[in-house]
Amino acid sequence: MPVPTLARVTGALVLIVGLVAGCDSGAAEPAAPSGATRVFTADNGDITIPVAPKRVVATGYAVPALLEAGAPLVGISTWQRGLPMMSAKDRAAYDRLAKVAGESAAETNYEAIAQAEPDLIVIGVPKPVLADIDLDRLRAIAPVVALGPSLPSAWRDLSRKQADAAGALATFDTVRAAYVDKTKQLAAKYAGVLPKLKFAHLGAYGEVANGNFQREFNGSWGTNVAQDLGANYYGEVKVKGTGSKAVSEYPSIEELPSAFAAADVITYTVSADGSVPKGVRYVLDSELWKGLPAVKAGKIYPLRYTEAATYGSAMATADAADQALAPLLTS
Amino acid sequence: MTTVHAAPARPRSGTRRAWLVVALVVLAAVAVVSVGVGAHAIAPAAVLRALFAPTGTGDDAVVRHIRAPRALLAVGVGAALGVAGVLVQTISRNPLAEPGILGVTTGAGFAITLGSAAGLTATGAGELMLAVAGSVLATVIVHAVGRGSPLRLVLTGVALSAVLSGVSLGTRLLLPDVFDAYRFWAVGSLAGREQSPMLLPLLAIGLALVGAVLLSRQLDAVALGETVARSLGANVVAIRAGALVLITVLAGAATAIAGPILFVGLIVPHLARRVAGGSVPWLVAYAAVLGPILLLVSDVGSRVLLPTGEVPVAFVTAFLGAPVLIWAVRRYGAAPL
Repeated sequence: MPVPTLARVTGALVLIVGLVAGCDSGAAEPAAPSGATRVFTADNGDITIPVAPKRVVATGYAVPALLEAGAPLVGISTWQRGLPMMSAKDRAAYDRLAKVAGESAAETNYEAIAQAEPDLIVIGVPKPVLADIDLDRLRAIAPVVALGPSLPSAWRDLSRKQADAAGALATFDTVRAAYVDKTKQLAAKYAGVLPKLKFAHLGAYGEVANGNFQREFNGSWGTNVAQDLGANYYGEVKVKGTGSKAVSEYPSIEELPSAFAAADVITYTVSADGSVPKGVRYVLDSELWKGLPAVKAGKIYPLRYTEAATYGSAMATADAADQALAPLLTS
Repeated sequence: MTTVHAAPARPRSGTRRAWLVVALVVLAAVAVVSVGVGAHAIAPAAVLRALFAPTGTGDDAVVRHIRAPRALLAVGVGAALGVAGVLVQTISRNPLAEPGILGVTTGAGFAITLGSAAGLTATGAGELMLAVAGSVLATVIVHAVGRGSPLRLVLTGVALSAVLSGVSLGTRLLLPDVFDAYRFWAVGSLAGREQSPMLLPLLAIGLALVGAVLLSRQLDAVALGETVARSLGANVVAIRAGALVLITVLAGAATAIAGPILFVGLIVPHLARRVAGGSVPWLVAYAAVLGPILLLVSDVGSRVLLPTGEVPVAFVTAFLGAPVLIWAVRRYGAAPL
């Protein structure tokens, strides 16, 4: 029997309305953690989370931190920049785990996170980037703890908080102790040399572009581990910004002589494989660079693994700095 | 209904010559300022010493190795883009045309993107060759498909640009390393280009400028319309092909060494038209002087606008050029082609 057109249209409309209502996640209730809980203070407020989470999803800076801390991960975002610094064990875990988000926060796959059935989600992105993530949608899956980076050197505190939230402090503290031991030994080794020298660092991150260079001061990515060995990167940014811009700046290449004139030693960032990034290569090839006192004195040293954001990876940075700065012990 | 436009009143030759001399003096003055001003303050006496009696100081290096090559680059790129703009507006008879409309810029960007993915952009020379190859290839395709008429040419250029932009964007989004390499080139800037091999592209620009001057009289006939040009005995197809070759060399070389600086090729012909009227030879002469002035002024601005670092010159040309263009159009009305 033919169905009248009006009835078919009405039926279709009812179906569409029903589907739209079913798909609306905005009204979803936040997921309640099961078992023992505690209140954890994060960038997104005081969050009730499980005392001992069993299934954790991590994104951004939380990925390397929680891999290293041995947290019970069931899903992670990709984290290409950290791969060269990962231990074989962490790298195997990284490869094995389901990828629930890409490199950027906008690439978060909510369905994949839901399928992982986490009881805690740890978001490791800077506060401004949180706007790219639908936190309500994530909260409907599991409690969400946002713990993002502020100053580059603050990875120490940040990774501890992330490990704490995921209930993985025991392994974290072991790795941290190993780093502290290593850097103490190295600081003792260089005690008679590094504190007497004025350091400057040529970086490779952020807004490096044609015609400028990145100068990093104390507390920046390229400097903070070398500081633990006793190096002091003198000076400070001209115009203080937030985050990494509080400890690094991007002057014109014209200012290279005045920026590095007083430096006894200049360190510069290289890639994990030792190759020189394009922005750094531009400066090293400049005639202005060749006229710097530290360059003329041969006191320029490449630093690898300057993107370290965990104690485990920072041990590789410390080793690389030790290898690079060793000539200072004999000069 | 047919609208008949009266031929634009052409300024007298004496007036044009006088204004050209004034423009050349301004160009010389701006070039001096460009060598003297920058992020690092250097006293005028030290600038002169750096140029004529260098002693190897940091200031000498800044003037001789950063500012002087940069000023030279601005003159070459500005002249190339300005004259390319005149040529493309003349052969397309479209006042909104600029060299990028023929796919030159997107062709170069496409080649840089693919070259980055293949690891061919590690050196300045590699980047330069890729950009030139991309520009030439794009223009050859546009010419092969759209040579029938100016409208077809422009539409082909727009269509090819859209396709190449889409493919380039997709590649860059899929490959973060390529995106990172591309961003260095993509922001049109004269900063940091001083280490690139400049001799060959500047030589090519010089030769193409001479070619533009030689072709400009025949283009005067084409500017009157295809039918009139044919009745005057002009070989329209050959003239248009010659102009396309010159546009490709000028815009391709300029884009290869400085990245995409889109606005200069659009604004300069309009500014030149205020004084030159509809005469193509005078338009070419004025564009070859006004282009460098615009780029040098913008470049000086790009160095001093921020407390640290620089603004890419392409941003400054847009901010400086757009109001100038609007002012010119409002003050004088759009001059007919």
